[in-house]
Amino acid sequence: MILEAILLGASTGTYCSMYCGPVLIPFLCGTENPGYKRNAGLTGAFLAARLVTYFILGAVFAGLGYLVNDYIDPVFARKLSLFAYIFSGLILLCNSLGVRFPWGCSHNGCKVQKLRRIGNDWVTAVIAGLAVGLHICPPLWTAMTRSIFGGHGLPGLFYFVFFYIGTLPFFIPLLGIPFFTKRVGIIRKISRIAQFFISIYFIYFLGLQPLIFG
Amino acid sequence: MISSIILSSLMFFIIFFFVILMNNFALAAIIYAAFLFFLYARMTFSERKRAGSGVIYRRIFQTVFAVGFCIAFITDLLAERGSMAITNQAMSNSELPFCHIAIPQVLVPLMITKSIIFPARISGHYAAVASMFLIWFICTITIGRGWCSWVCFYGGWEDGFSRIGKKRRINLLPKNKEIREISFGFFMFIILSSLCELACTYCEWFCPFKLVTEYSPVTSIPSLIATIMFIGLFIGLVVVLPILTKKRTQCSALCPFGAFASLTDRFSIFQIKIDTDKCSGCMKCATACPFCAIDIKTIQDKKGHPEITCAKCGECIKACPNKAISYDFRFNLKKGGCNCGSKSSAPKTKFGRVIQELLHPAQLFRFAAFTFSVIMSSGFMIKTLNIIFSPLAALISGGAK
Repeated sequence: MILEAILLGASTGTYCSMYCGPVLIPFLCGTENPGYKRNAGLTGAFLAARLVTYFILGAVFAGLGYLVNDYIDPVFARKLSLFAYIFSGLILLCNSLGVRFPWGCSHNGCKVQKLRRIGNDWVTAVIAGLAVGLHICPPLWTAMTRSIFGGHGLPGLFYFVFFYIGTLPFFIPLLGIPFFTKRVGIIRKISRIAQFFISIYFIYFLGLQPLIFG
Repeated sequence: MISSIILSSLMFFIIFFFVILMNNFALAAIIYAAFLFFLYARMTFSERKRAGSGVIYRRIFQTVFAVGFCIAFITDLLAERGSMAITNQAMSNSELPFCHIAIPQVLVPLMITKSIIFPARISGHYAAVASMFLIWFICTITIGRGWCSWVCFYGGWEDGFSRIGKKRRINLLPKNKEIREISFGFFMFIILSSLCELACTYCEWFCPFKLVTEYSPVTSIPSLIATIMFIGLFIGLVVVLPILTKKRTQCSALCPFGAFASLTDRFSIFQIKIDTDKCSGCMKCATACPFCAIDIKTIQDKKGHPEITCAKCGECIKACPNKAISYDFRFNLKKGGCNCGSKSSAPKTKFGRVIQELLHPAQLFRFAAFTFSVIMSSGFMIKTLNIIFSPLAALISGGAK
């Protein structure tokens, strides 16, 4: 079962990285101090937060077992994904406006102190990780189903964890981001603009609009 | 003089083959061929007198092509579907026409998932994915981002509108750098969101040219919002801002293909060169550039070439009072600057001078770009001419009877 969970994660990790890419790539590329350690730390914080969400989801699903069918259906899962988009969009927006907006700010970042506290890089990485974990993508849905039918308790819970471990190799290229941002400084500014657009797109187009209008 | 005659003759054969012969000597084809030949010959001969004076013919061609393309395209849609709205059948059968603006959004998902995320035919149609990719590839290694200012069938709208006003109402020169950054930021956003959604997000929400091509029918509030967005973007970025700023604002700020073509332009063999020795720093080139590719820092830093978003339209060449700007081969430019001040040896014989003129980068670039324009426009423009002139002909013949 462990091997199956890891292989499922490894085989569908491309899709995981495709969903996490828009959140992580502009955020990591736009950071003010593009060091390898800091970049790895932020990536680690994001992934750890995502693991926490998976762990909670795993615990809930494994605990509920077949009862999941009564409480969680694809419509609910879709709504959960919409909230994932809204939360990650909001934190990306706070981060881009509060800390790293490209223009109209002093060299230390935006002067809006409250936003600056909320949109701190580390807070952003953690909240975005927690939110992205809520996004029920097809691979995660598969893992959920397997976790439910895999039995109650620990096996179900750890199915999620090993699925998560299977997706990790796809995030390794992100560790090389400082190599580019250190050499081509303009990437940082461009990434901040992209992050701003992505946050608006997540909040409205992928979050609020489907939530309100269906 | 001889070189201009030779080039015009060569272009005559290209126009004859692609316009007249391919359209079976139709009257509309002959009229359009004459128009194209007039434009090219005038451009080549006037450039001989004064560098940059031929750009007016490029502007005329692109504006006429953009309007003609949309007339032909809409007529085709009306004939096939009965409306400009995208039908469910066309969507499910993957029969939507594919345009070059979608190429960058399709490319990354294609590499990762091995599937085309745009509901278009792969081959066998003038607007199929394979044919557009092929045209883009050939274009990239020859004229590069010159596509935007010579061949793009949408760019002519902005080019035309940017010439309407006599006076520039808004000066974007101090914001050129920011506009370039927005362009690449938006490009990055479009690529990532297309990858995340596995759909062409630009085409779904942000394409202003839906107003003059095809659009999703308004059946729900989200589709109404999308319609309001593309009408607003067309009026704002393609009509109003080009009139006020005399710049191609949509191409400069929000076109993902433009940003993508700027990145791939380094594979092109042609580039615009600024001779820093001759440059007096008057900034007339920066003011004239419709793509925000020259700013104060470009000139101050003596970079020797415009910024990455240059579309080689030639407007800066026309504007420069010191003749410091010209086309050149990329391999001729020194790394990090230009070969400014270096004098090429003048040939001693007349034959040598003709050969040198023929192989001049400006002549070759204009020839290559115009050839692309002829090939791309021939099918659409003849259809448009037929649409315009057939009721007129019927009216005249009816009147004669």
